[in-house]
Amino acid sequence: MPARSELDVVRGTLDLMILRALSWGPMHGLATLRWIEQRTRGELQIEDGALYPALHRLEQKNWLESEWGYTDAGRRARFYRLTPAGRRHLTAELSRWERYTIAVSRVLAPEPAR
Amino acid sequence: MTSPGSRWDGFRRVFRLPTSADRLAREVDDELRFHIEGRIEELIAQGWSRDAAAAEAWRRFGDYVAYRREARDIDLITHHQRRRMDIIDAIRREARQSVRALARTPAFSLVALATLVLGIGATASIFTVLDAVVLRPLPYPSPDRLVSITHPVSGTAVTAGKWGVSPAGYFFFRREARTLAASGIYSTGTLSVRSSDGAARVQSAQITSSVFGVLGARPAAGRLLASDDDTPNGPIVAVLGYGFWQRAFGSDPSIVGHTIDVEGRPVLVVGVAGPDVNLPMPSAFASQADIAGFGVDVWLPLQLDPAARAVNTHPYSMLARLAPGASVDDAQRELAALTARLPEIAPSAYSPAFMRQYHFSMAVTPLQTEVVGATARVLWVVFGAVALVLLMAAANVANLFLVRLEAHRREAAVRAALGAGRAHLAVHYLSESLLLTLSAGALALLLAWGGLHVFVAVAPPSIPRLASVALGWRTVAFAGALSIALGVVFGLVPLASRRDVDTATLREGGRGLTSSRATRVVRDALIVGQMTLALVLLAAAGLMLRTVDQLRHVKPGFDPEHALTMHVHIPSSRYSGWAPVAAFHRSLQERVGALPGVRAVGGGTDAPLVSFGFCSIVWVEDHPLAPGEEPPCVKVTEAAPGFFSALGLPVRGRVPDWHDAEAGTGAVVVTRALAERFWPGENAIGRGIKGNGSRPPFYRVVGVADDVRGEGLEKPPVEAVFFPIIPMPEAPLWGPPNDLDLIVRTSLNDPTALVPTIRRTIAALDPMVSVDRVQTLTSVVQHSLARVSFILALLAIAALMALLLSAVGTYGVIAYLVTQRRSEIGLRMALGARAWEVTRLVVGHSLRLALLGAVIGTLAALATTRLLSSLLYGVQATDPVTFIGAVGFLLVVAVLASMAPARRAARVDPVEALRAS
Repeated sequence: MPARSELDVVRGTLDLMILRALSWGPMHGLATLRWIEQRTRGELQIEDGALYPALHRLEQKNWLESEWGYTDAGRRARFYRLTPAGRRHLTAELSRWERYTIAVSRVLAPEPAR
Repeated sequence: MTSPGSRWDGFRRVFRLPTSADRLAREVDDELRFHIEGRIEELIAQGWSRDAAAAEAWRRFGDYVAYRREARDIDLITHHQRRRMDIIDAIRREARQSVRALARTPAFSLVALATLVLGIGATASIFTVLDAVVLRPLPYPSPDRLVSITHPVSGTAVTAGKWGVSPAGYFFFRREARTLAASGIYSTGTLSVRSSDGAARVQSAQITSSVFGVLGARPAAGRLLASDDDTPNGPIVAVLGYGFWQRAFGSDPSIVGHTIDVEGRPVLVVGVAGPDVNLPMPSAFASQADIAGFGVDVWLPLQLDPAARAVNTHPYSMLARLAPGASVDDAQRELAALTARLPEIAPSAYSPAFMRQYHFSMAVTPLQTEVVGATARVLWVVFGAVALVLLMAAANVANLFLVRLEAHRREAAVRAALGAGRAHLAVHYLSESLLLTLSAGALALLLAWGGLHVFVAVAPPSIPRLASVALGWRTVAFAGALSIALGVVFGLVPLASRRDVDTATLREGGRGLTSSRATRVVRDALIVGQMTLALVLLAAAGLMLRTVDQLRHVKPGFDPEHALTMHVHIPSSRYSGWAPVAAFHRSLQERVGALPGVRAVGGGTDAPLVSFGFCSIVWVEDHPLAPGEEPPCVKVTEAAPGFFSALGLPVRGRVPDWHDAEAGTGAVVVTRALAERFWPGENAIGRGIKGNGSRPPFYRVVGVADDVRGEGLEKPPVEAVFFPIIPMPEAPLWGPPNDLDLIVRTSLNDPTALVPTIRRTIAALDPMVSVDRVQTLTSVVQHSLARVSFILALLAIAALMALLLSAVGTYGVIAYLVTQRRSEIGLRMALGARAWEVTRLVVGHSLRLALLGAVIGTLAALATTRLLSSLLYGVQATDPVTFIGAVGFLLVVAVLASMAPARRAARVDPVEALRAS
């Protein structure tokens, strides 16, 4: 298991990715994970199980709400959806993330500052 | 970790129904299972074999157990958080609605609130007193094992009662009693102690060192008295009381080991008692009956000699702790048997004839009962009265709720039609009533706090433990519980009578018949009930009023106007012996008598109503005792010349003067009651009487004083002998009068104006002589009425409150009825009824209820006023005049309460009333 502070960073990033994923529309947990895997093109290894505590925590914070429904195949699954508060939080976090990555990449860029 | 779910979860768990925690866990399982199965299918679609796919899916999932637990925990927390928020929201919503609903009917809300505040406040106040004085155990370790030991004695009104124990008796019981683990005796009094600030009078207790053991006392500094300090004629040491140590010595621990000046003698201080160490009450012969705030300032050893000759005096109060396993009855039996053996153990003090004549026996009483006893009875009576008033207030408010409910019958019907379940309605009503009662409870506590301050200020000092009366958490809890209980009852009242609310009401459009028969009966019953209770309280108050009135007319015998009494202490270290004390008396009388404004001065060892107390045996010359007969016991005091004229007590014959005193002629004055007892119908003058034996010479009666009620206005005139302050040669008296009650008769309207001058005069004579307990004789007389006046005041307040509540209740209901029946009234008037007939209808209704209440109330009062009979004087508990007066008063109030609505009914405009319906 990664060290605690690393875990927090990982958690925070995972939360953001989940919120982003669900901003496209309601999905169940497995679909959400598949969406993230596709987008990262396999670069990020996320344990399947780690998704669920994240989903439930986001629901606790009222950024997601869940509902039991049926898949196309007729299987019973729990679907998650962004709440308006969640959407607002996502927007704020996205802009922060952008600013963060831009700042870091400036530091790490190969050319000198001039 | 996680807490179990709601109350329902517990319930469901017992019956093995699924709990919400179970449901949440199952959902997590379902969710995770769906995921894993989806993964497996995905892998199979990619070509994996089923088993390999399963293994891979599980591997990719990670620590299933940990993730599952984490998800479950989060869900549980979320669930509890959501539920808590829901409840808080629901409460807030209900509260807001209730406030609005109550605000819509301000008259109802305010009247109900005021009524409840009065009722709960009064009850909470009296409960606090009852709790502090009667219910709370005494502040000693294992207080239920402590007992008080006395000798109940029969005799005349003067001599009967409970005596203390004699020294010989104490040593005997201590030695032989198996049922007592520890015992001790004490007597209390006052002493002069000189500290750096000058001489002060302090409360003292002389004890055997075992008293501290019985009380479970601990020292705060130094040590307490030990058995070595009990050695007769040994060095006298003292233990300071905690409060006294704080006040006089500033809690300075270095006082231990130093000496203080007690009555002019140096005494070594060996320790300070702990903060809660105290005697439960003053000893049996304490002349100052101020047990409300009794506290011992200085503890001294008694130093009695077990080997001394036994004498028949009983000045000591005895305390004991029961041995483990022994009950009060066991101790009673053993000590009664031991008492019966006293004549054989101490024949010089106890003869079989003495035992027989006085029915001398033993009583072992639990200490709490001894201390609180009589007061407990009084307080329970008062509590009962206040509880009745509370009941009335509750009935009133319940009635108001019913009335208000009817006015909103349509609204309730609409709610019911819209599907509001019974439970929902219950919550609605309950939240309104609870809001009302809890607010009333909070305000009532404020009222009680104020009321208690007043109570403590005016209560008679004979109420024990008064100092500990204070508003505490127990009162708050009591008021809270009461408010909640009332709130629940009021909330359920509308539900109970809701049976008739239905669509019929809606159809009628809300008018029509006033109410169902059931509601009417309940409402009328509540009014009648209130009237009944009001009558009981009125009767009780009336009886007390007559008692006080009767007592007020009882003449004390002496003239209390324009006179002062004060206690003068002449230190025996400076004035020991008869002659010096008498000489001081004389100069005191001359100096004070010469002051402007002073008409007469005289001192005596006991002044009537101030400090008359126990009796002593005397021998009468003309009545030699038959063999086996015991000498009579009467009140005995010493009076200096001038005493009778200072008191304003008329004396037939003559009064002893200074010549008599200094020559030792042995002239005494007796009271008329004593003369009647010993020499009925004859002239008492010239007869012989003495204490201390039957051999001549006898003292001669030279004067007979008029009847004087020395012990209390409600007691019969006292049988007393006033001996001179210097004994006859060969006929000793009890001791020089170092403690005097000085009576000063003035010509001023306010005798207290002379007090500073008198003090200065006495100080000029001798600064070591202390003067305290100054009061006017009128206040002394009033003081003896204090207990009865106090109870009267409380009952009168309760009765007036009851009456007020009845009036308010009656007014409210009648007014409502008039409003509801406007159309009916309009109809009647249109059909020719005249105004006064309508008025008569309304007042008649009220009067009928009042009469019914009066009849039932009279019966109830006849049964219950019996409880007061020990407090009454000069009037029977079933006194017809009082009862008739109470009934009349009640009827008048009932008529008055219905006057206003009746007149309003009479002014109803028939046209308008009919149009409105």
